[in-house]
Amino acid sequence: MQTKARTLPLSKRGMSFETVMWLFTRLTALAMYGFIFIGIVGAFVMGAQNDMSFVEVLRWALMPNTGHVTYTNVPEISPYASMFWKSVASLFFLTAAGHGVHGVVVILDDYFAKPSQRKWIRFWNISIVAVIIPIGIYVIWMG
Amino acid sequence: MEVTIKIFRYNPEKDKRGHYETYKVEAHENDRVLDVLELVKGHKDGTLSFRRSCAHGVCGSDAMRINGRNMLACKTLIRDVGANITVEPIMGLKVAKDLIVDMNPFFDNYKKMLPYLINDNPLPADGKERLQSPEQRARFDESTKCILCAACTTSCPSFWASDEYYGPAALVTAHRFIFDSRDEGAEQRLHVLSETNGTARCHTAYNCTEACPRDIQITKAIGELKMAMVTGKID
Repeated sequence: MQTKARTLPLSKRGMSFETVMWLFTRLTALAMYGFIFIGIVGAFVMGAQNDMSFVEVLRWALMPNTGHVTYTNVPEISPYASMFWKSVASLFFLTAAGHGVHGVVVILDDYFAKPSQRKWIRFWNISIVAVIIPIGIYVIWMG
Repeated sequence: MEVTIKIFRYNPEKDKRGHYETYKVEAHENDRVLDVLELVKGHKDGTLSFRRSCAHGVCGSDAMRINGRNMLACKTLIRDVGANITVEPIMGLKVAKDLIVDMNPFFDNYKKMLPYLINDNPLPADGKERLQSPEQRARFDESTKCILCAACTTSCPSFWASDEYYGPAALVTAHRFIFDSRDEGAEQRLHVLSETNGTARCHTAYNCTEACPRDIQITKAIGELKMAMVTGKID
């Protein structure tokens, strides 16, 4: 009777692009919760206890970009212009863009089953996100 | 009690599209929907076509949509669905006639899972069977219950979109063999599952689990396949 644990090496698990992207989507979803948590904690640490409403805290958590919060009641927004917060915002943005574009492709695959259609859908989605990412990064770092 | 049954009808030799016909029959509340269909076919309209074989929930022939839900007609009692019943063919497969659908795409997907034991290793020294502990058997016990009725696959929105998607029933079959300690074909099956139309198309809608007349936790089984692809653990 075979009793030893059966574990397949990486090369034998069917680790295709589809599988990797399935895993990527799950991990990026978790990562985004982490970024939101970091944003909320950061906002409170930097004065949100006194100067921001909960709505504004959420806004900071989801869009930690000085350009987006100029009109909040926070008297001093320069801490958010630091390398750290710009990096957090950039990583959050890249994670969300990757997660989002793959989600759209997966859903559209339900409606377009022909390989040629799927090829075009992938091409257009990747093209759109390839344009959006540099714009987003530019806004975060130069805004 | 009088039962009113509205049945989807389609004759490819006469009809351009399907339509519904309504029949009234006398039935007992403990009768099954299959009994009512037999009454209609035997006494009202002999041209009505539907699949049935064992009539006891084992062969999986008579899966159909009853009041909008995939069920086996032989396991569904009148008292559970009421006196007004609508019966339609299962969705996502081409209707051949009335309640009969073309099951070929379903079985083509099933065959892709290599639904047989793969083990080229020599037999044990005694030349008898390959032994398995009760725990090892229990690992895939639930997925052995599948009767290939297609109730799960034809309730899946991803399958409605494209019958290229292997579908829940095929994935349950893969689960049945991949987690069998006697089987050595996990690598081949996981490679099939990792293709575009494999597990990636499952969006965990849970329709399959709800539709299964054998109460197999299908979405859970598909989740275990996904984890096996990521971790490599097939125990």
